[in-house]
Amino acid sequence: MNISTSDVVLLAHAGFGVTGCLAALWVFLEALNAQPGNAARIRTAALVTAFSMAAAWICGGYWYVHFYPPDRALILQGPWPFAHNLVMETKEHLFLITGILAFLLPVVAREKLHLNAAARKLVLSVAALIVITGLAVEGAGAVIEHGAKVALLRGGSKGAQ
Amino acid sequence: MRSAMAPESEKLIAATSGFVLAAAITALFNTALAWARDAYAPLNGIMKSLTGNSWTAHCLADLVLFGGLGLIFTKTRAAEKIDASRLTGALIGAVAIAALGLALWFAFV
Repeated sequence: MNISTSDVVLLAHAGFGVTGCLAALWVFLEALNAQPGNAARIRTAALVTAFSMAAAWICGGYWYVHFYPPDRALILQGPWPFAHNLVMETKEHLFLITGILAFLLPVVAREKLHLNAAARKLVLSVAALIVITGLAVEGAGAVIEHGAKVALLRGGSKGAQ
Repeated sequence: MRSAMAPESEKLIAATSGFVLAAAITALFNTALAWARDAYAPLNGIMKSLTGNSWTAHCLADLVLFGGLGLIFTKTRAAEKIDASRLTGALIGAVAIAALGLALWFAFV
C-alpha cells in the first residue's frame, strides 16, 4: 500500500466537509423541534459544524496550494478542461461562503430558539444553506477528480495505441 | 404547543443580527473579489505577493471582513434595526446571488 501525504490531506478535506454537512443537518433537524431540552445539543452540533468546516478549509487549502498544480495541468490537457475552468474555479470560491456560514452558525445558535421564531427560522436557513452549498462543493470535488481520471485514462489509452 | 409555554419573540440579539449582516456582505464581497482577480491579473499578483498564494489572501480577506464587520455591527447595533425576517431573506438572497454569480462568471466569461 502506498498512501501519500497528498492522499491523506485530500481525503481528510472531503471527510471533514461531509462531517460538517452532517453536523449542519443535525442542527437543522434539532432546530425544527427546538425545546429547552435540546438547546445544548443544537449549540454542540453548531460548534461541530464550525470546527469540521474549519478543518476542511485548512486541509483543502493546503492541498490546493501544495498538490493541485500538477492535477490542474493534467485536467487542462485532458478531455474535461471544464473540470478546472468552471468547476474548480467555482468550488474554490463557493467553499469560502460555506465556511463563513459555518462560522456564523454557532453565533446564531446562541439565541433561545424555543422562544424566538425569527431566530429559529434563521438557524434553519443558515443550516440549510451550509448543507446545500456543502453538498454542491462535495459534488464539485468528484467532478474535478473525474476530470483528472479521464485525462489519465484517455491519455494512457492514446499512448497504448 | 410552543405558544402555550411562553410568548414568542421576533427580535435577535445584537451579535446575531450583526454577524448575519456581515455574512451576507462577505458572501457578495467574496464573489466580487473572485471576479476582480479573474478579470484583472495585476490584482492577483498583488494578493500573491502578500501571502505567497492569491487564494490564501482571498481567504484571509473574507475572514477579516466577516469578523471585522460582525464586531463593528455588534458594537454599533447597526443591524439590530433591520427586521429579523428581512435579515434572513437578505442572507439567503446574498448567498444565492453570490453562488450563481460565481458559476455564471466561470462558465461564460
